[in-house]
Amino acid sequence: MVPLAYFQLVSAGLFAIGLYGVLARRSAVLIVMSIELMLNAVNINLIAASSHLEGLANFAQFDGQIIAIFVITVAAAEVGLGLAIILRIHRNRSTVNVDEIDLMKW
Amino acid sequence: MSSLEQTALFLIIMVPLLGAVLTMFLPKDRPGDAWYFAIGVSVVCLLLSLYIFVSYDYGAGGFQLARSFQWLEAPINIDLSLAVDGISAPLILLNGLVLLGAVLISQTIRTRTRDFFVLLQALGAGVFGVFVVRDLFFLFFFYELAVLPMYLLIGVWGSSTDFGSFLRTKEYSAMKLFLYLIAGSILVWIGILALYVKSATLGTPTFSLEDLGNLAASGSISEEFQTWVFPLFMVGFGVLAGLWPFHTWSPDGHVAAPTGVSMLHAGVLMKLGAYGIIRVGMVLLPEGAENWMPLLITLGTVNVLYGAVSAMSQTDLKYVVGYSSVSHMGYVLMGIATLDPIGVGGAVLQMFSHGIMTALMFLLVGAVYDRAHIRDIYVLNGLFGRMRVNSFFFAIAGLASLGLPGLSGFIAEFMVFTGAFRTYLPLAILAVVGAALTAVYILRLLARTFLGEMDPRWEHLTDASPVEKAVGGVFVVILIGVGVWPEPMMRVINVGVASLPGI
Amino acid sequence: MEWAWLIPVLSFIAAPLIVILGPKLPGKGSFLAILAIAAGFVIFWAVLSGFLGASPDSSHCETSADTGSLVCDYQQEWFHAGLASLDQSVTLTWGTLIDPLTLAMLGLVTFVALMVQVYSLGYMKGDPRLGWYYAVHAMFAGSMLTLVLADNFLLLYMAWELVGICSYLLIGFWHERPAAKEAAKKAFIVTRIGDVGLLVGILLLWSEVGSFSMSEAFNAATTGAMSEGVTTTAALLLLLGAMGKSAQFPFHVWLPDAMEGPTPVSALIHAATMVVAGVYLVARAFPIFQAYDGDALLVVAVVGLVTALMSASIALVSVDLKRILAYSTISHLGLMMLSLGAFGYTAAIFHLLAHGFAKALLFLGAGSVMHSTEAQDIRQMGGLIKVMPITAIVFSVGALSLGGIPLLAGFWSKDEILNAVSQNRNPVFIATAFVVAFMSAFYMARAMFVVFFGQLRQGLDHAHESPWLMTAPMMMLAVLAAGFGLINFNWPGAFPGFGGLIYFHEAEDFHFNLWIGVLSTVLALGAFWLASLCYLRERISPDILRQKAPWLAVVVENKYYFDEVYQWAVDRLVLTVSGFVALFDRAVVNDVGVNGPADTVRRVGFVLRLHVTGHLYSYALAMVLGTVGLAVLWWLRSV
Repeated sequence: MVPLAYFQLVSAGLFAIGLYGVLARRSAVLIVMSIELMLNAVNINLIAASSHLEGLANFAQFDGQIIAIFVITVAAAEVGLGLAIILRIHRNRSTVNVDEIDLMKW
Repeated sequence: MSSLEQTALFLIIMVPLLGAVLTMFLPKDRPGDAWYFAIGVSVVCLLLSLYIFVSYDYGAGGFQLARSFQWLEAPINIDLSLAVDGISAPLILLNGLVLLGAVLISQTIRTRTRDFFVLLQALGAGVFGVFVVRDLFFLFFFYELAVLPMYLLIGVWGSSTDFGSFLRTKEYSAMKLFLYLIAGSILVWIGILALYVKSATLGTPTFSLEDLGNLAASGSISEEFQTWVFPLFMVGFGVLAGLWPFHTWSPDGHVAAPTGVSMLHAGVLMKLGAYGIIRVGMVLLPEGAENWMPLLITLGTVNVLYGAVSAMSQTDLKYVVGYSSVSHMGYVLMGIATLDPIGVGGAVLQMFSHGIMTALMFLLVGAVYDRAHIRDIYVLNGLFGRMRVNSFFFAIAGLASLGLPGLSGFIAEFMVFTGAFRTYLPLAILAVVGAALTAVYILRLLARTFLGEMDPRWEHLTDASPVEKAVGGVFVVILIGVGVWPEPMMRVINVGVASLPGI
Repeated sequence: MEWAWLIPVLSFIAAPLIVILGPKLPGKGSFLAILAIAAGFVIFWAVLSGFLGASPDSSHCETSADTGSLVCDYQQEWFHAGLASLDQSVTLTWGTLIDPLTLAMLGLVTFVALMVQVYSLGYMKGDPRLGWYYAVHAMFAGSMLTLVLADNFLLLYMAWELVGICSYLLIGFWHERPAAKEAAKKAFIVTRIGDVGLLVGILLLWSEVGSFSMSEAFNAATTGAMSEGVTTTAALLLLLGAMGKSAQFPFHVWLPDAMEGPTPVSALIHAATMVVAGVYLVARAFPIFQAYDGDALLVVAVVGLVTALMSASIALVSVDLKRILAYSTISHLGLMMLSLGAFGYTAAIFHLLAHGFAKALLFLGAGSVMHSTEAQDIRQMGGLIKVMPITAIVFSVGALSLGGIPLLAGFWSKDEILNAVSQNRNPVFIATAFVVAFMSAFYMARAMFVVFFGQLRQGLDHAHESPWLMTAPMMMLAVLAAGFGLINFNWPGAFPGFGGLIYFHEAEDFHFNLWIGVLSTVLALGAFWLASLCYLRERISPDILRQKAPWLAVVVENKYYFDEVYQWAVDRLVLTVSGFVALFDRAVVNDVGVNGPADTVRRVGFVLRLHVTGHLYSYALAMVLGTVGLAVLWWLRSV
């Protein structure tokens, strides 16, 4: 059986890549993709932990899996919504560069 | 009739609520339809409220027409339980009357008519709800339902006041009113949650007024807790009742609101506050009430005098009436604070009487404003020459407010004085002086605006329209009727007041 | 007698009927009011005969322990304040109380009201608001009759306020005239100040006795159940109300201004009926005033004396016919108060009636003059006897009667008052009372001589006698003003005399004090003789006093500056306070209390918004740093 730490390492790596993408990229589409990476990193972590902790007291069997499914659902909705917003912004301003999208500041 | 008996209270909430929803689906381009529809709805409400008032058996007393629907089961325990007693029955009737009057008078609303009546009916449903529910959660729910539409009703359909040196836009007034009432609601909500948590520590958590009342009656709520929580209700509900020094939203709000809304607002909505103090504060926290009543009656007396003195030097017709409401709500607060059967009975009767009287005044002032497009009492004069019925009705409303015997205001004020005289003598004397001050500003208003030589520029004014005459006439008849023969009203109120704890 | 409640109720029914149906009826419904009051007058006689036939054994009747006379009381429940089973609650009743005092007042009010309403048919002919006039008249009659019939203080207070509002409406009847409008407002507000005292007094009695019933309050006062302090305080508070209504010093200022109303109104309300309500109240509550040696009565006497003297002096110099009569009314009301204050219960009521008939007559006469000459200033009148003889004669009868010429009604009643004062108060009172009596005769003579006698003034040729609708009521009143004194005598076996009917504890026989009678006769005749020298034969110039003591004349002619002082107080004090409070409400409560927090929030927001840069990176970075920070915190705590 693969040790838990391996999964966590992969997950941490994915998360770091995602985080880098969110902070460093200018394109809104790439930022959304990076967020997806981060969410999936969390999913891997959750499922690994769930299967690792199976049989231990105080934990229901499928908690991790259930939350992961929730996350996937939320992520799907978020992508739908996020891409729709980005599309609207692109239509309006012909750019998806987040530096130029600052109307909401004071 | 038994089916009506079981459903009357439910219907009286649901009819205006459904009316509001259905009004949204009326055609937009025919504003008259919304008016007719709203008349239909409010006539049904009035008939229901009449039925509730008449069928209340004052011999038996207590809560009647009770009905309960479970909404959220244990462990949260929220029920929609409905019932009326001697205190709420007259107020339900009051709301039925004023709602119909306000709807009729709102014929003149020309912009966004449909939306206006949606909000007005929602407001009416909220007020009925507060008066009939016996569950704190729903009481608060309906309380908010009654308060929130005010913001839009004033902000969208209101009118601004501009005297040059003194400017009040309708948006300002609406925002001020809204913030004040919401601040009051927050205090009330904190108080309700405190009671809920308290009941949880004593067994089952409950919002039910009945269960909480039993807890209070059994003495299991400590005096310290009551003394801490009561001021939340006193101030929170007091804001809506115009309690000094939180009254300042009320004149501005009344002035900015369109006529029909002013009528409902000053006539009924302010009574919700006083009703809340009785129903929640006095019943659930009797010992806290006893400890805080000296403060409440002092503030009530300040209300009476401060409102009257302020009204004396107002130059805007509506502001005079607005401050007079502050003054008259002072009698209600005083009466409640006496914790005496006559005093509290007087307060409840004053709620009814002032509701009718002030609605009538706003109606007539609105009629003057609609025609003359000005409300400055130094500019208006001799209106009696052109607006006979209007002026006559105004005189009667004014006389009722200065406590002329034979009109309902006298009976109510007299009972408040009597109750206060036994408990807080110096304040009672001050309140009697306040009644004399009322005479000063009412007569000043009558003399300046309605009597005297008429300026030629008011030649074109027309007298009250048939609708205004009809609504005003009914209100005048009620004022006289209750003043001459208060027993039908009093026997219901007496029963309700007698069952309050501490009396 | 149990139907006595019908007397006011008929008029109360007539009032709304006239308002609603009036425009469609002939005469705008005025006959309804007259019918109602005429029926009331008839019922009054039935009640009177019923009362004379009643004995303490009759149902509802008993001999009152507080006044010593027969009292019949009929009650009807009205409403309950507080659930009846509770101790603190109170049941309010409609109740009619019939005793000699009530009957005397009933007779006066129904008769004078009937006369005045008939007279008004002529006087107000053609007025566009005739219906309204009669509606308020009916309302007034009903309220005034309720006032005298009331058996409890609450009902009395209600009627008290209602007559006040009717007076307001009738003074302001011609509200297009600014003076009338202002006078109406002034009358209502000044009396309302007194009413505060009355209401507080009534509530004080209630809190002591636990009931609004008069007899219970009297009982508590006379048996000592109520302490001396409370009794005297209550009496003084009631007196405050009485002073407002009866225009006693210092509340007298409203009555002269009230002359702006139509003259029949002045005759009915401001001479014969409403203004005597204060005297009636003191007489009615006499057990309370008189308890504990009557300390309160001394105040009553002083108030009455000051009022009588002050207003009589103003009447001497006034040039407006109606105002002369108004000040004369105030002066005579002061005399009635003085009489009550000197334990002269019977004398006060007797004078109340005699004065009521005479003064109503004088006002109606003045109205007749004004109707035909359209003048109100006596300097524009003179010699009117030549063109309007009936008016002149009846006016003279009234003037002579009030002036105290022997054998006329006013002589007897004034005599009784002087008698009471001389017996029960110290010499200063009686001396001043004689001065008032002299002045009273003098100003009456002055008005009579200047207006009706001497040369006919130029420009008055067109004046004519008034129609019979106006002269007939005057003549009837003249009969009473002249002959009413007759009922003062007792005919042993047949008629007990006035003092044998209306008395406080002890029936009084007719008595005549020789030196007082002679002195007052001499003074009255002397005053008329002096006035004839001044104004008729013009041997003495009336200006002589003005030259000798100019300052006095100025002070008196300006009515002792009461109006100015009050005006100043209202302008400077009341309106300033009111303006200050209104300003406070806007500046402190609104601008500081409401806008202050709002501005604070806005300023704080202005500063805080600077952290919103609009760059996604900064937000994301803040999120990351925050998460890391929380993680570190958690780690630090768990170590």
